[in-house]
Amino acid sequence: MDIDISDILASVSPPSVSPSLLDLQSLTRAFIAERVAPSLLPYPSALMTRVLARIAAQIELVEHETGKVDPRANFRLVVLQTEVERWKYLVRALLRARIAKLADYPLFYLEDAEVSGRLSAAERQYLGARQGLLGEHYAVAFLGQFPAGLRRLDDASGGVRMVDRPDEEAAVFVRCLRDIGPVRVEGTDTEADMRRGDVWVMRWSVVREWWENGDVELI
Amino acid sequence: MYGELGLKLVRDAKRVQNLPSLPSYQTDLVRSTVREVRDLDRDNARILEPYTSASQAGTPSTFNPQDDPATACALLVNHLAMRRNKRCLLAYHRVRAQKLEEACWAGVDVLDRQAGGDGAGNGEEGGQGGAAAMNLSPEEEEYVRRYSDLLAAYKGQWTDIDLTGSLEPPRDLFVDVRVLKDAGEIQTEYGAITLSKNSQLYVKESDVERLIQQGYLQKLS
Repeated sequence: MDIDISDILASVSPPSVSPSLLDLQSLTRAFIAERVAPSLLPYPSALMTRVLARIAAQIELVEHETGKVDPRANFRLVVLQTEVERWKYLVRALLRARIAKLADYPLFYLEDAEVSGRLSAAERQYLGARQGLLGEHYAVAFLGQFPAGLRRLDDASGGVRMVDRPDEEAAVFVRCLRDIGPVRVEGTDTEADMRRGDVWVMRWSVVREWWENGDVELI
Repeated sequence: MYGELGLKLVRDAKRVQNLPSLPSYQTDLVRSTVREVRDLDRDNARILEPYTSASQAGTPSTFNPQDDPATACALLVNHLAMRRNKRCLLAYHRVRAQKLEEACWAGVDVLDRQAGGDGAGNGEEGGQGGAAAMNLSPEEEEYVRRYSDLLAAYKGQWTDIDLTGSLEPPRDLFVDVRVLKDAGEIQTEYGAITLSKNSQLYVKESDVERLIQQGYLQKLS
């Protein structure tokens, strides 16, 4: 399920970019996209592994160099540490944004095989355990005394599903990275001619496909 | 009857959303709402009794909504009221659980506070802004305990990154802090620092982040 966006990044950025800068860019993009998109995006596992390795290496370097008293090395260290803190912030914010989405629609992300594929293993474990706890909490607090037919949390009878889902029709801001051409929004007469560099406000359900292909980025 | 209690619960939940601390758990209200559901369920069973006993006697179930619209309507109203109560209860508990989870993420020791609120005269604690006592039901206490364990387990998988850290982008590596409460000695990579009350220090933010959250230190901008 992991989408490789490095080729797009390569085509957008100048060719001589170092891999670490590229990772920083993709991390920043992943972070922004996760913050903006209404539903959970696939977990960027390859990127995360690289980023975590980088952070660990930098921390080790910092620890190794701390012993020296050379003032010039000290300044370099401060810069390094500041940078490490920023990377950490990006990772933390990305993970927290995902957790927040999971917390809002736990059953939706657990039930559907397609969407639960977007979670990392750790997230799936966390979500499952949390939902178990929550279910137990409800049961002890009041559901346990309910008539048997009304105890379920994912009831679909009466025409209304109990499981909430994220609003795929929410509007997002996108910037086109490639020419897409005319785009029709389903159910309306709106048509948009999307060209590279344009910024549009579109429904997430409409632009999602292009985001997955890397033709647009969320901003 | 018919959802009045549920409405009270939801109103209370709405109020909880905007409060800094949790008001006391509405044990009575929850209990009477549950009782209402059970009463309604019993009503329904009684209405259906003549039909089900007939079906047990050998003939198939004879209740046909079209033959007897009044009964069907009563059943439906009862049923909808039950479902509505369930929704209200779920909403009420969920809002509270969410609040508790937020507190867990923010590093607030809810259970500690709960104990502090129960015991008389914890003046110093209460004097500080958001440090009001949480009023949990026993079930909620249990939930918080287990949720913090779960959170700790999930956090433990990210060794280098403190997930519960601040969500503000970092600006400076070092910050000025003032010590509000004695916090003893902490170890940093530049050696040990003693945090004694009312002193002011220039330290690395990531070293003292937790202490700031817990209210030992105050960040000076």
